[in-house]
Amino acid sequence: MLKYLGARDGRWSVSGLLTQRSLSVLLIAGAVFYVVLILAQDPQKFLQFTLNGIVIGAIYAMVAMGFTLVYGTVWFFDLSYGAMATIGGYTVFYLSGQQRTIGRGSIHNTAVDIFVGALVAGVVAWVLYTWLYPNLRNRFDRRLLLASGFVLSILAGGYTGFLLSQPLSLNLIFGPVVGVMVAILAVWLLHLALGRPKTTSLKMAVAATVGLALGAYTALLLAVTPGANLYLSWVVGAAIAGATGLALYRGLYFYLRRRASSPLIMLVGSLGVLLTLTALVSIVFSPDGRPLPPPFGETPWRFWGASIKPFQVFNIGFTFVVFAGLVLLLFRTSFGKAVRAIGDDEEVARIVGINAPVIIAVIFALGAAIAATGGILLGEDLGIKPTNGLVLLLKGWVAAVVGGIGNIYGAILGGFVLGMVENYGVWFIPAAWKDAIAFGLLILFLSFWSRGLLPRK
Amino acid sequence: MSSSAAERGQEYALETKGLLKQFASVKAINHLTIAVPRGGITSIVGPNGSGKSTLINMLSGTLPIDEGMVVLDGTALRVIKPYDSPSHGVTRTFQEVRLFDQMSLWDNMLVVLTKRNVLGALLERAGTAHSSRAQELLEMVGLWDKRAAFAEELSYGQRKLLEIARALAMDVKLYLFDEPFAGLFPAVLEKVKVLLQDLKKEGKTIIFIEHNMDLIRELSDYIFVLDSGELLAEGEVHEVLARPEVIEAYLGT
Amino acid sequence: MIEKLKAVSPWRRFTAQPGNVGAALRKNSQFLITLAVIALAATFMLSQGSGFAVRVIQLSAIFAILAVSLNLVIGYTGLLSLAHVGFFGIGAYSVAVLTTHPAYEQVPGHIRYFDWPFFAALPVGMLVAGVVALFVGGVLSRFRDDIFVLVTFGLAVIAHRVFLFWLPVTRGAFGIHAIEKPSIFGFVFDGKTEFMLLTLGFLALVVFVSWLVVSSSFGRVLMAIREDEGAIEVFGYKARNYKLTIWVISAMMAAVAGGLSASEQTYIDPQSFVLLESIFLVCIVILGGLASLVGSLLGALVFVLLMEGMRFIDFIPDALVGQGRLAILGILIVLLMVFRPQGLVGRYKL
Repeated sequence: MLKYLGARDGRWSVSGLLTQRSLSVLLIAGAVFYVVLILAQDPQKFLQFTLNGIVIGAIYAMVAMGFTLVYGTVWFFDLSYGAMATIGGYTVFYLSGQQRTIGRGSIHNTAVDIFVGALVAGVVAWVLYTWLYPNLRNRFDRRLLLASGFVLSILAGGYTGFLLSQPLSLNLIFGPVVGVMVAILAVWLLHLALGRPKTTSLKMAVAATVGLALGAYTALLLAVTPGANLYLSWVVGAAIAGATGLALYRGLYFYLRRRASSPLIMLVGSLGVLLTLTALVSIVFSPDGRPLPPPFGETPWRFWGASIKPFQVFNIGFTFVVFAGLVLLLFRTSFGKAVRAIGDDEEVARIVGINAPVIIAVIFALGAAIAATGGILLGEDLGIKPTNGLVLLLKGWVAAVVGGIGNIYGAILGGFVLGMVENYGVWFIPAAWKDAIAFGLLILFLSFWSRGLLPRK
Repeated sequence: MSSSAAERGQEYALETKGLLKQFASVKAINHLTIAVPRGGITSIVGPNGSGKSTLINMLSGTLPIDEGMVVLDGTALRVIKPYDSPSHGVTRTFQEVRLFDQMSLWDNMLVVLTKRNVLGALLERAGTAHSSRAQELLEMVGLWDKRAAFAEELSYGQRKLLEIARALAMDVKLYLFDEPFAGLFPAVLEKVKVLLQDLKKEGKTIIFIEHNMDLIRELSDYIFVLDSGELLAEGEVHEVLARPEVIEAYLGT
Repeated sequence: MIEKLKAVSPWRRFTAQPGNVGAALRKNSQFLITLAVIALAATFMLSQGSGFAVRVIQLSAIFAILAVSLNLVIGYTGLLSLAHVGFFGIGAYSVAVLTTHPAYEQVPGHIRYFDWPFFAALPVGMLVAGVVALFVGGVLSRFRDDIFVLVTFGLAVIAHRVFLFWLPVTRGAFGIHAIEKPSIFGFVFDGKTEFMLLTLGFLALVVFVSWLVVSSSFGRVLMAIREDEGAIEVFGYKARNYKLTIWVISAMMAAVAGGLSASEQTYIDPQSFVLLESIFLVCIVILGGLASLVGSLLGALVFVLLMEGMRFIDFIPDALVGQGRLAILGILIVLLMVFRPQGLVGRYKL
């Protein structure tokens, strides 16, 4: 029932004259007129506003993609998603805090290291127990397996804690891990590209060699570049947020969802999580806004009187990379097929043998990691603040609804539309009206195109 | 088609003329024209997906009418809003029982008896008005002792009974029952049977959807057979159920 | 094995038998919780002195007005609204703007003076809130469930931006200062205790009106809308009208709280009307119990005690008190959703 927002109550009934089509035409004509008007008024300013819109739109698109991924699978609004963005931003801040003394000097906090370490240990233990253990338990001694799994989890937790306590040597400690990840990713992508119809051992050997070489090269490159710490901290931020998302699902939402009679219970529950996490971040790092160290230099590129920072260009490109990755994952892999099947009908998916709880948990981790990436990109651009998570969540929510909720293509489109509308909208009025404009757009869309620009199927 | 009913010299409680309901490319109700005689029990049968529930939903305003019209009690209607259906003399039950789950049985009954306009409802005290009628109906279906319980605490049969009692509380001319007997134990089934027959004695018109042929033969006076949103047959029950095309529609495919 | 243990836990077995203490406890749990909360609150307040008690009662009375009015919408009608802070703000700003006296003005020449008495300004505030609610409600009436929540989120943000940027009326971030205390027939409610009594009087009025509403047939229709809007419409009720009516009533009650709050603080600025306040209100309503007027009163009391009480815990630095309260509130909400979705004394589960 909840799947198609429009199907529930989408009828517009003020009068027969105001049909949806004529209103659409009117709105589009108005929008075009407005854009032409401001373009004619000041082309340079228009270019700058457009660039701003695309830059912020990329971040909204990123957040909306993760949001729509989670919502389109479990069909409830997870408000704690906003806290994941905050966690991402603050992990980067935490790892870079000792390089740049901001305000009160070192922000190192052993409690945070231990807490995050324990979290990662728990998540690793869960992953080993649900994925590896069922496959291996009939071949090896179970007690040995459990014990080694336990040791592995503790090691992973300890490693994470150690990592957090040594931000200066992130490139030496974490670089090899990233190298391994790159290698795995490369092998997987090559496998998709080369060997999908029929995998031969030669092709696999080529893939493995290329992948390993790439991984080793990455690790080496990171190790000899001290400036790589910032970029590594992005990965750590996304990973920690992912672990948090997974833990939240397995620890709370899974049980809440089994008993929930209405989507509102989940909404309020996740609101509680959002409040708690935001408050905890504020307690540890103070509620004030903080800057993050600038990546790729501060000097903006200028052309035709408008300017854009190198980082902002990167951030637009990266959004499209994530988008492409998600599309590949959702539409080219069996995992993606399972995700879509759960999104269409979880009961049926269960019946045909899809392990829904595990896949949903992975989706939560992935969504959280994407949210964290959005939080980091926003933080690098405009600084971080504990309450930014809520703002980003609402913007992502709006973008996802405008684009057509549950549809990954809609999310990226909605993000850019939202960014542009926000920026063009404040042409004549103070910039702080942006949020109000975003929600005005939302209400307009829900009233006339209640299923968004690109509805899910 | 409706001439057979007209010959009997009755006026109709309900007529539909060229009724159409389309879901995407599927015509759930395809230009359906029927006339339901006044008084008595009329059953609608048909295989799954033949548009029986859709028809009930359109008659009660739960689904908007795409094309055609409905004549209720002599008034031709092209649009039926759900909240207008009682004033056209229609009430209904649902195929999947829809009670007010987190309200007591008492409230479930009273809520359909009170004033409809906002101001009137505001000035009416909840505890006192219409309580005798609610008590009468709850006693009739044997749920008076449970009046303080939430509706969600009832068993399936009790829920079905409560929903029927709730429909009976509406003082209208035409009652639409969507599978009132589905999944009931024999004892409860007998009770529902009696309720329907009592209603018939009061001179009301009853339309119900049912799959069990024995029940249909026993209860109904008139029958419509639907298939893919179109009328396959209509007439006296025993005669229609003996027709080969009706038997085929049920047993074939 | 574990399943079996779970099914017949000792507590379950103890309480399942009729006639023993456990069953009695379960049966009267709502009453007992009410008593316990009030007793705890009273002990704590008395131990801190009468000034503290007056402050807590004053604050919780204002929150209680808001919570009761919000409960009409969330608990009885099933519309989880986060836009309530907007109506709260409209009430506060109406009273502030209409009662401002030129003599107290700090930036002269920026705003019109009305210099109305409080008791004339308050009804106007209610009226403004009601009219705004009517329009907003018209837009909202087409949304349901989580989309409704999202739109009310948006309305709260829009309301805050309006308070912040509609300079000619609200004076933006600078706020409005020196708001007069209410006075009637020459008697001024300027003392703390007097104002507390006034607030309690308004609270009693709001609770009485709410009780009238929910104990009428109208209230029962609201609950039916909450349970199944499609089903109740078939029985001849135009759900939209019912929802709009309760929405407007609730908004007007929130405006009363706003007016009282402005007058009590003698100063308002947009920071008092941010989205977070709405989230607090929802938490209070759920904490106390959905569809329970007593629950909302209790919820407000517990919430204010939690907020004020944390100042007295020594080991938390002052700067972190606000955040600490938020964290505790968040955890409380999660626990409520898991273990007691009907709140402290409610019966209805979200």
